[in-house]
Amino acid sequence: MGDVSTKISIEHLTYKYPFAKNVSLEDITLSIDAGQSIGIIGRNGAGKSTLCYVLSGLIPRFFHGKITGKVTIDGEDVPTMPVEKLIRKVGLVLQNPFSQISGAKMTVYEEVAFGLENLGIEKDEMHERIDTVLRQFDLYKKKDENPFELSGGQLQRLAIASVLVLKPEILILDEPTSQLDPRGTTEVFETISQLKTLGITILIVEHKFEKLVEYVDKIALLHEGKLLGYDTAEHIFSTSEIETYGVGQPIYTALCKRMGLKKANGYYPVSFGETVALLNGLKGSGMDRRTYNG
Amino acid sequence: MKVLSLYVENDTFIHKLEPITKLLYALISIVITFLFPSIMVGAVFVAFSLLLAISAKVFKRMLLLLNVVLIVLLSMVIIQGLFYRQNVTPAFKLWGLTFYKEGLLYSLLLIVRVVNMIISFGVLILTTRPSDLVDNLVQKGLSPRFGYVLASVLQIIPQMLSTTSTITDAQRSRGLETEGNLFQRFSAFFALLGPLVLNSLVEARERAMAIEIRGFSVEGKRTFVRQIPETKADRWIKISLYVAFIVAVVWRIILWVM
Amino acid sequence: MAKNSKLTTAILVLIPVAVGINYAGKLFASALKLPLWLDSIGTMLSAVLAGPIVGAISGAINNIIYGLTTDPVSFVYALTSIGIGVSVGFLAKGKMFNNAFRTLLSGLIVALVATVISVPINVVFWGGQTGNVWGDALFAFLQSKNVGIWVSSFFDEIVVDLVDKVLCVFITFGIFKALPKTLVYTFKGEE
Ligand SMILES: Nc1ncnc2c1ncn2[C@@H]1O[C@H](COP(=O)(O)OP(=O)(O)OP(=O)(O)O)[C@@H](O)[C@H]1O
Ligand SMILES: [Mg+2]
Repeated sequence: MGDVSTKISIEHLTYKYPFAKNVSLEDITLSIDAGQSIGIIGRNGAGKSTLCYVLSGLIPRFFHGKITGKVTIDGEDVPTMPVEKLIRKVGLVLQNPFSQISGAKMTVYEEVAFGLENLGIEKDEMHERIDTVLRQFDLYKKKDENPFELSGGQLQRLAIASVLVLKPEILILDEPTSQLDPRGTTEVFETISQLKTLGITILIVEHKFEKLVEYVDKIALLHEGKLLGYDTAEHIFSTSEIETYGVGQPIYTALCKRMGLKKANGYYPVSFGETVALLNGLKGSGMDRRTYNG
Repeated sequence: MKVLSLYVENDTFIHKLEPITKLLYALISIVITFLFPSIMVGAVFVAFSLLLAISAKVFKRMLLLLNVVLIVLLSMVIIQGLFYRQNVTPAFKLWGLTFYKEGLLYSLLLIVRVVNMIISFGVLILTTRPSDLVDNLVQKGLSPRFGYVLASVLQIIPQMLSTTSTITDAQRSRGLETEGNLFQRFSAFFALLGPLVLNSLVEARERAMAIEIRGFSVEGKRTFVRQIPETKADRWIKISLYVAFIVAVVWRIILWVM
Repeated sequence: MAKNSKLTTAILVLIPVAVGINYAGKLFASALKLPLWLDSIGTMLSAVLAGPIVGAISGAINNIIYGLTTDPVSFVYALTSIGIGVSVGFLAKGKMFNNAFRTLLSGLIVALVATVISVPINVVFWGGQTGNVWGDALFAFLQSKNVGIWVSSFFDEIVVDLVDKVLCVFITFGIFKALPKTLVYTFKGEE
């Protein structure tokens, strides 16, 4: 095994927004290894976005309020890290593709340049980096178009590209596909699987569990600001309480729970592939296939 | 409409000038026409500004710009011609109303000033990509944060206005009164503007977060992906403008003193 | 993430939105055939949210942008917009919007400020006119009665501004009161 190191460490994190009645995060402790992909799930108001804001430094820099506990990246304290440094470590992609566009740039190319200009990256390197990400995200043909003329999926890819051009080691995506159609969703997930191969640590908040489970190593389950589970998808979704947290589950897990079909390791399948494999296994063991073909 | 702008793309000499050069021309020509209460001075600048507009191939667009103030200019001729305080010399009679020479000349002075203002700024606006003007100003020392505001205004407004039509439709389908009496129409105004304000503020907060994440508040040297070059022509034009400006101010002071 | 500057990023992003609200107000007013402009609600809202300086900047940029894109004459009235932003900002700070009576009083003050700034501009650029039909008719009438140009122009302007600004102030406050607190604080200038 290669040497796996802890990338992000959160200890007893509690946070309350200004003017809020209750805390939005309560005593969260978790750690994430370098290169891992983590899914964050929980129902509305669970604190998923808030956690993303803490990790990307928007809390406490943009949202003030009361934060306690310890959050570190590569052993360095996130709330007090210099912004220039933090930006090179963490990138954040938000939900609404439109409001993430800077709005100050008239072409896709210049939009991607926005962050590089802010950081004072030299011109040659700037062009090189922009060309690379535009090609990587299949936006090169669009480089002279106005960002606001792109489709939702393209716009969200542009948002990801504009963040990745700063070469962060960690990418956080907060419901990146919730406003996209199936095609846009597929585009974004394909992008994410590319990033995994580059060794980037990924955190993704997502409600489309069938897609999510295919891409993540572990899932963090939040509920009313508390971390209720942090484990592999099959562990998280196999529990019977999962339904009480109002988050739902992958359709395949729900189906198999209903039919009482477990994998050999005692957990329910979470993905299409696992379910098919399980069913095929059953077929081999003498069950009548017609039962399952309808 | 994706960008709020009157920019007409082309490749003329005027288009290729540095935006700041054109801005400087507009400002200095306006100041000079207001320094001298002379129709001649105003007319010279109007003619010159028109020449620039023609050579930049934006003459037709310029007429549209002037059209906006046409009515006011006409009403100025009438009101000043009839009622200007220093009116003494009758010029002509129309439908029993006496127009006076002093008032007509005064309105003419006002008109050349306003027309020059519109044409000289028009040349800047019609021949300059708005974001180039902003980039140019930032490269010459305007705060980049302030530059961001100017540049984003031009795109955010059309964006917001495109949502207004969505909101209008949604409210209509809920039976919103857009025709009724004055009171009903005022309530309709509230119902339309309220949601728009809330939405745009939520989006503004998100946009602020998104640009923070991309280093908007990082202090220190910035670089520019589009560098706006200063040509030799720009330098000469700027020098002549400064000279003209100084001459005008000095001359004005001398006239005052004497 | 600038800690010491008053113009936080949230505020900078608020400014274009304020200008957009001005545009939208004007658009809705004409779509509903309301006999007013209602085009300074954004400027006022930004002043209430973030204070007089931000109100002034929103007002100035509003007219600069309007001048750059539609009507170059609007440049010179930037001063009026600045006055509106500043006065609303200070009135909001002075709790002058706590009840309907105070709000009305504030509306009158804003209208007066706008008029006092606009009149010299009208005199210099237009010989005293405003370009509004009703106002200009009154102006012509007063001029024909030999009333001084400044006084005539003052009345020309104030008949137009009075109703418009008072209504804008009320609408601004109606909207402001309805906004969630957790959103509003984001745009507060640091004390
Ligand atoms: N700016 C804010 N000020 C005050 N309270 C807030 C703010 N933003 C969120 N909250 C509150 O914090 C809690 C967690 O919100 P958060 O946005 O993190 O939830 P979420 O899991 O991302 O939900 P969703 O699925 O709706 O995006 C909620 O109760 C919410 O009302
Ligand atoms: Mg969220």
